[in-house]
Amino acid sequence: MATIPIGADRTLAAVRAARRGYRVLRGLPIVPLAILALLAAVAVLAPVLAPHGKLDPVKPTREQCLAKYSTPDCPYVDNAPPFWAAGGRLDTPLGTDSLGRDELSRLMHGARISLIVALTGTLFAGAIGTLLGVLAGYMGRWWDEIIMRITDAWLTLPSLVFAILLSSVREPGLWNVVLILALVFWSRYSRAVRGEVLALRERDFVKLAEINGIGKLTIIWRHLIPNVMNTVMVLFSLQVGVAVIIEASLSFLGFGVPPPEPSWGLMMAQERESLMEGRWWLEVFPGACITMLVLSANMLGDWLRVHLDPQLRNR
Amino acid sequence: MRRGLPLLLVALTLTAMSPDGATGQQPPILSGPLAKLDIKPAQIEARATPKGTLTVAMHFALDPGWLDPLEHSYAVTMQMYDYLVHDAMIKPMPHAWVSYGLAEHAEMAADFRRAAFRLRPGLKFHDGQPLTTADVKWTYENFKGAYAKVFQDKLEHVQVIDDRTIVFHFKEPFIDFMDLYNGGVSGIGWIVPRHYYEKVGRDGFKARPIGAGPYRLVSQQAGAQMVFEAFDGYWRRTPATRTIVVKGIRDPATRMAGLQTGELDLAFGMTGKLLPRLMSDRTLRWDPNFTGPWWLMFPGYSEPGSPFRDKRVRQAVSLAINRPFLVKQETQDISKPWGNWISPENRDALQGQDAPVPEYNVEKAKQLMTQAGFPDGFEVEYLPFPPYFDMGERILTDLRAIGIRGKLQSLEGPAFRAKIGQGRKGVPGHRTIVQNIDPRAGGSKSNIAVYAVCGSPASFVCEPQIEALWTKHQASLDQAERERLVKSIQRIVLDEHYFVPLYLNSFVHGIGPRVLPEGKGVGKYWDTLNAPYPWPWEVWEVKADR
Amino acid sequence: MKRYVLVRALYSVVTLWLLVTIIFGLVRLTGDPVAMKAEAGADPAYVAQLRHSWGLDQPLHRQYLGFVSRLLRGDFGHSFEKSLPVRDIYFERLPNSLKLGFAAFLFSLALGVPFGMLSALKVNSWWDSAGKMVALLGLSMPGFFVGLVLIIIFGIQLGWLPVLGKGPSAVVLGEPSTWITFWFRDWAHLVMPAFALGWYFSGAMLRITRSGMLDVLGSDYIKLVRLKGVPESVVVAKHALKNSLIPVLTFAGLNLLVMVNVAIVIEVIFNWPGVGQLLYDALSNRDFPMVQGVVLMSGLLIVVLNFTIDVLYGYVDPRIRLSR
Repeated sequence: MATIPIGADRTLAAVRAARRGYRVLRGLPIVPLAILALLAAVAVLAPVLAPHGKLDPVKPTREQCLAKYSTPDCPYVDNAPPFWAAGGRLDTPLGTDSLGRDELSRLMHGARISLIVALTGTLFAGAIGTLLGVLAGYMGRWWDEIIMRITDAWLTLPSLVFAILLSSVREPGLWNVVLILALVFWSRYSRAVRGEVLALRERDFVKLAEINGIGKLTIIWRHLIPNVMNTVMVLFSLQVGVAVIIEASLSFLGFGVPPPEPSWGLMMAQERESLMEGRWWLEVFPGACITMLVLSANMLGDWLRVHLDPQLRNR
Repeated sequence: MRRGLPLLLVALTLTAMSPDGATGQQPPILSGPLAKLDIKPAQIEARATPKGTLTVAMHFALDPGWLDPLEHSYAVTMQMYDYLVHDAMIKPMPHAWVSYGLAEHAEMAADFRRAAFRLRPGLKFHDGQPLTTADVKWTYENFKGAYAKVFQDKLEHVQVIDDRTIVFHFKEPFIDFMDLYNGGVSGIGWIVPRHYYEKVGRDGFKARPIGAGPYRLVSQQAGAQMVFEAFDGYWRRTPATRTIVVKGIRDPATRMAGLQTGELDLAFGMTGKLLPRLMSDRTLRWDPNFTGPWWLMFPGYSEPGSPFRDKRVRQAVSLAINRPFLVKQETQDISKPWGNWISPENRDALQGQDAPVPEYNVEKAKQLMTQAGFPDGFEVEYLPFPPYFDMGERILTDLRAIGIRGKLQSLEGPAFRAKIGQGRKGVPGHRTIVQNIDPRAGGSKSNIAVYAVCGSPASFVCEPQIEALWTKHQASLDQAERERLVKSIQRIVLDEHYFVPLYLNSFVHGIGPRVLPEGKGVGKYWDTLNAPYPWPWEVWEVKADR
Repeated sequence: MKRYVLVRALYSVVTLWLLVTIIFGLVRLTGDPVAMKAEAGADPAYVAQLRHSWGLDQPLHRQYLGFVSRLLRGDFGHSFEKSLPVRDIYFERLPNSLKLGFAAFLFSLALGVPFGMLSALKVNSWWDSAGKMVALLGLSMPGFFVGLVLIIIFGIQLGWLPVLGKGPSAVVLGEPSTWITFWFRDWAHLVMPAFALGWYFSGAMLRITRSGMLDVLGSDYIKLVRLKGVPESVVVAKHALKNSLIPVLTFAGLNLLVMVNVAIVIEVIFNWPGVGQLLYDALSNRDFPMVQGVVLMSGLLIVVLNFTIDVLYGYVDPRIRLSR
């Protein structure tokens, strides 16, 4: 019986790991990940990257003022088109909005808002929902009945109801939208997680832990929550996209992040009349940003679903 | 509303020439000396066959409650529906601020303790039942809307002399009675059919109202649509348009699209980003429809801790606003920068030389801010009248130049009204700027009563100097003195920069190609004073349906 | 079985009661509706009288008890903003919402089912990716964006389709003839909003069809049919399609209701006088009774539908009624 040197074993393991890593890497949805990474980078670096401020109008040149208002001095030039269109300038590559603010800079700052709202909102919802779902599934009995009945009732409530509620008891703001998303979405998690836990509860490792006298809280924390994380991850990635859309819709209806902050949804809502005026860029760029973000999140979500949910492997 | 003022002047001159007016032939109702009233005779017009359909877009959801004058609050919106379905004893018309309506004659005793009306002969409700003084009395007694308490408290009793003659007796002099009874100011003068209201009840009446106005309601979908048909029996004339459809459409882009596709003939509230499109579309027309001035208020300015306690800061705000540019951006130069916060169409409002447009001078504003101890400015909350959020952002942009950095609170209409209506209770902070507009009828005194005196729940201003003048005004029976006092109060408010006037708003309405006459002549529909909407409706004429 | 149905029914009642309580609480937190109705300068007597006539001067528990007992009698109260009984207004609007919902649903079927089948039959092919893209795009574009673009192109530039509302036809309670004709008139008004709404749901439709189809195609039953030498087209059209549509249809019922509930943005954009628009108006005007009414009615519809689905499943699949 030949002995394999320890070092060789290590090398072999490393090679295997690298191969496995490569396989995973090859299977990764490169495009959505790249888009998401790019958006995240822009969001973090917006104050550095943005050529102009998010709230102040771009100072116009003499020629611009003369061209637009026939006076040499003006506070700002509104609705400048993108740089490739007639009248556009490289200084404001995607044009300016109706208050003369740089569209590109606002989009960059908007990435921040969209990502913060969608991610934290979904995260909170996930935390609340997972916890309640685990409690309902594991503690059973009254816990289960009460939590699940509330979940059922909650699922029938339209998200706008929460929006109005919060906007009237709190100052409107970014964190309101986060709260709304958390309040709306937790019920989606608790249902799915509960089902998962009902199955896990009967598994040997949970039974063993119970027999060994491990406390309920420890079981929940050590055994149940780690095991439902796959489901939660899949749900999370799918909900982020929905959260972005809801944020945009809330803004469109006037219940979202308050102006003058540049949320993409709000930018679209504020300039929706501009579309009729032929100023498509004020509507299409934020629209495209939203679509891109949601599309990437959904594609990633699909991929995760296929890879993390054993029942769905082949679909 | 544009040519309202010259018309009023013409009317005044005419009255001066014939002191008796057309009511001279009427036999008197009251004994004793009478107060002088300025009510113009109604204009009876030719009868013809109504034709065509006029489709109107309201800029918010429709409320069946508007159809019930008994529950009128202050909202001018309701009057639009009064002018459709109901008719008032006296009301504003294009030719006069007060014109005879259902009443053909009115008297007020010189001591302001009795008021009398005589109805026109042969008045009928939509169901054919006669309109009599019993309905007038019942409406007065059952009125629950705005000013109801004043009307009930002052009333001693109602004396019905016959089917056409009625006298109101008051416990004390009721100087403002004719002002308030005017259909342009409260709902109590719009006469409701007693027999029908008692039969169908409050809900039934709102669902299917009956009145004595030029149009009767045929059908409605609460909130979305109301359909009206011309009422042949209307006393003044046959309405020119056969059917009027009113839709509630909140989204301006949708209203614009409706005008352009021809699905709408008249759309309200087209000011803003879509205005250039409306103005450049050659098939469409528009009316500037000046309503009232925009102005800024500083809730809690008089309390310690508020930066606006310093007059120089309030003045700096005024100096920092580029009114001409604001007007260009918001209204394509249609509106006019303005120096008062009360509409010039309201009686006794300061205007022109008396209230010049404040200057735009950022340097001076910065100096004042430095002198006041705010060289680096401060943060504020900004509360714009909805849905004029764009305008709010533009003003905030101007204010940033002198260091005042604002966050915009975009509230829905009712939430905004609730805040403002409760005064300091609704807007408790020290660093809030409120952007408001209120095209309220009833003379400058009504604007002051709501916004500039201590007693009003909606007021942010409580100054002893103003209070003294106001108390004097309330006690006075002398019209000339009252006018002088009302003007002095406005002077103080403006000089102290308690309010910062911005510009006289044009609440632009868009008009489609079906509306007659062709061309600019459509402006005549906006001639009624103090009317943000183009009533009376019976004069609206459209092309016949094909 | 009887016990199962009873338990389910009890659950539904409890859910409804919770919904009633939650909505009552939430709505009470949103501020004073009287302040919203009374304008600047309203005199205090008028405000007090309004508050009294709306029953807001009573203590909260009295308001709650009154609310529940009136609900049991089918009385949802009066709308603050629209002044009429909430129930009347709601039922006036419901047909409009259902019409839009049905049209959007048909559209999502028309787009989702064929694409879903193609994707399932040719997994990982070009068709599969294209189908996925269409579905994902529908899920990824905000409804108002799609709606506005449609209005610009087809309403204004081309002038092909009306952009406002639902057209003149309406369901009139007193005239039974309108109950049927309503559904078949004014389809031009329906095209754009139904497309904008339906596209969003076609994505979900596609996914369900695809996975249902894959399930069926992989089953022993289909393998057997294939072994018998039945042509592939017949296998798909006759056997696979029929079986894979069952989940689509069960999902559809719920989807239709969800659609009625989430159509708010689309209804606002197209000025469609449905329940969504009603809710939007009511919410922005703090119209308590209207908000309560609309949310409770849609909640009731969902709960009843869920109950029906549960019971039907219980009949079909004995495992379900034992497991719960």
